[in-house]
This record gives sequence, structure tokens and C-alpha cells, in this order.
Amino acid sequence: MATPSLRGRLPRLGNPRKPILKPNKPLILANRVGERRRDKGEATCITEMSVMMACWKQNEFRDEACRKEIQDFFDCASRAEGARKMRSIQDTGESGNLPPMKLNKLLQRFPNKSHV
Amino acid sequence: MNAVSHRFRTLRSLSAVSRHSLRLTQVRWSRYSPEYRDPQTDKEYYRKPLAELTEEEKCEQELRKTQLIKAAPAAKTSSVFEDPVISKFINMMMKGGNKVLARSLMTQTLEAVKRKQFEKYHAASAEEQATIERNPYTIFHQALKNCEPVIGLVPILRGGHFYQVPVPLPARRRRFLAMKWMLTECREKKHRRTLMPEKLSHELLEAFHNQGPVIKKKHDMHKMAEANRALAHYRWW
Repeated sequence: MATPSLRGRLPRLGNPRKPILKPNKPLILANRVGERRRDKGEATCITEMSVMMACWKQNEFRDEACRKEIQDFFDCASRAEGARKMRSIQDTGESGNLPPMKLNKLLQRFPNKSHV
Repeated sequence: MNAVSHRFRTLRSLSAVSRHSLRLTQVRWSRYSPEYRDPQTDKEYYRKPLAELTEEEKCEQELRKTQLIKAAPAAKTSSVFEDPVISKFINMMMKGGNKVLARSLMTQTLEAVKRKQFEKYHAASAEEQATIERNPYTIFHQALKNCEPVIGLVPILRGGHFYQVPVPLPARRRRFLAMKWMLTECREKKHRRTLMPEKLSHELLEAFHNQGPVIKKKHDMHKMAEANRALAHYRWW
């Protein structure tokens, strides 16, 4: 869809009618885009953590008694970290558009000149 | 808390405050451009026979012949005595760039540990002698491994208050915390006139036997995490 027309919308000396638009900032394309709204994930490895803490409570926080639970917790944490990395790589690669950080860098290199 | 890891945290300083934006300049930077690769000081990497290498390793080695490689820092050698944990600990002990002093303190600490263990060994009976560990390097590694916390606490802002939320820590953070606690304990909580090798060797031996103030600090961290386990849902990663 083309940009809606600005003819006769702004409060100017040559414009006889009431202004339709009263912008508080100049109507010029900025050299940055807004950030993507990142969806908040949930906490990972809660079950492993609670199992490990139950083991600690029984064995007075000694680590040698809870080796297996601690190892499970570490494995879960590394798996979650790997999954998070894969998700962030895939997210920024697909869905057509560049991620906002890269777009901003590109716009910094080729900015919209609002001056002459 | 963003889980993106920065390999080099560069410090930026404010230089000129212009009318429109704050200008930041880098204070610490490297003379190497991005195509320079890190040096490989591990001799085993080069000794592997050609038949054993996988496709990607062969590709890597071919690449290394032609690409630019950074110079290895003076502290990094391909000697058999080189230990990355000990190098990291020496760097953390170093003050004002005095690596010579930090390294000598480390060697004196290891010597002190060895001497103490040998005294115990000679004073002990035959069956106890089998249980006494005399290699200072194994004692050092085991002590630091015993001091590593399993879970960490992170302040998270929720509803105007900061809550200490239990969070799993990556391996390098755990190793860093163990070393940091050990050094802080030795530097601050001991008498002013005791020398560092003496303090450190005492603390390392106590940590090796799962006793002492550093282990207590680790247990305090675990207990706080256990007390705040209901807040674990405040995490979003």
C-alpha cells in the first residue's frame, strides 16, 4: 500500500483548513529500527534443581553424597544452554528480516540524509 | 540477564560528551585484525598421525598452514609442566602486572603444600601413609574443585525489589568463583603479617579435606539457594 498523502494535513501558512496532523517530531525516517519484542521464556531445570536440593536437605549439604543429582543438574543446564543457542541462531536467520542489531548497523553505514 | 558470552570484555571510557550523543572510545584493544587465529600450543594436536584425523581436523590443519596466527603470549608454553588452571590462578593473584611476583608466590605455595604433606607423611604410620596425598598439583586441583559452587544466586528486579534467585552457573563461572573466594579469603581474612604462600597453602589443604572458610562460603551459597528455591520461577532463561 502506498504512503497516505500529506497534502493539506499539516498546519502551514498556505493551508486554509484546520490541520489534520500535528506531529511532535519531524516526519523523517530515522536511522534506527525499534527492538524486536523478545518472548520471555520460562525457567529451565526446575525439577532437577528441586531433586538436588531435597538430596542436600537429607545429607546436610555434603556434595559427595549427592553426586548423581548434581551431575543431572549440570547435564540439564548444559542442554538448556545448547537449546537456547540453537534457538537464537535459528530465530535470527529465518523469517525474512534481519535482526534489529544488524539492521541498525546497516543503516548506520547507509543513513537517510535529512540534510543537504 | 543475557546469556551471550563475551570472550573479550573491552572497557569503554567516555571521552567527549557532544550535544547529540555520548562518544565512547575503546581503552583496551588488540593490534590484531579479525582474521588472525589463536595459536595452538598443544603438542598432541600436531603429533596425531594423518590417518587418525577426521575431515574437519584435516581441513583445520590445512588452513593453519596459510592463515595468519597471533603470537602466543609469554605465559603460554607447550611445555609438559604447563597447567591452564595454575596459569589462570597466577593471573588472578597478579597485582599491577607483576607476573614475576605472582608466579614466585605460586611456586612457593606449591612447595609449602608439598613440605607440609611430606612432614605429615614421615610422621604417620604405614597404613596412613597410603592415604596422604603428596603431589601439590593434585591437591591444588582437588581443592579448587571442592570449592566450586554448584548453583549461584543472581539479583533479579521484580516489583521494585531485588530478589536473590538460584540459577545454574556455567563451568567457567564456577571455576572463577572458587579461585576468587580462595584469594579473597587469603588476602582479607588473615593476619596482615602472614605471607601469601603460607596462607594459601593452609587454605588449599583445608579445602582439599572439605573443611575451612572457603568451603563454608560455598555451603552458605548453597543454603541461600535452597532457602530461595521458590523464587526460581523468576528466571526467564
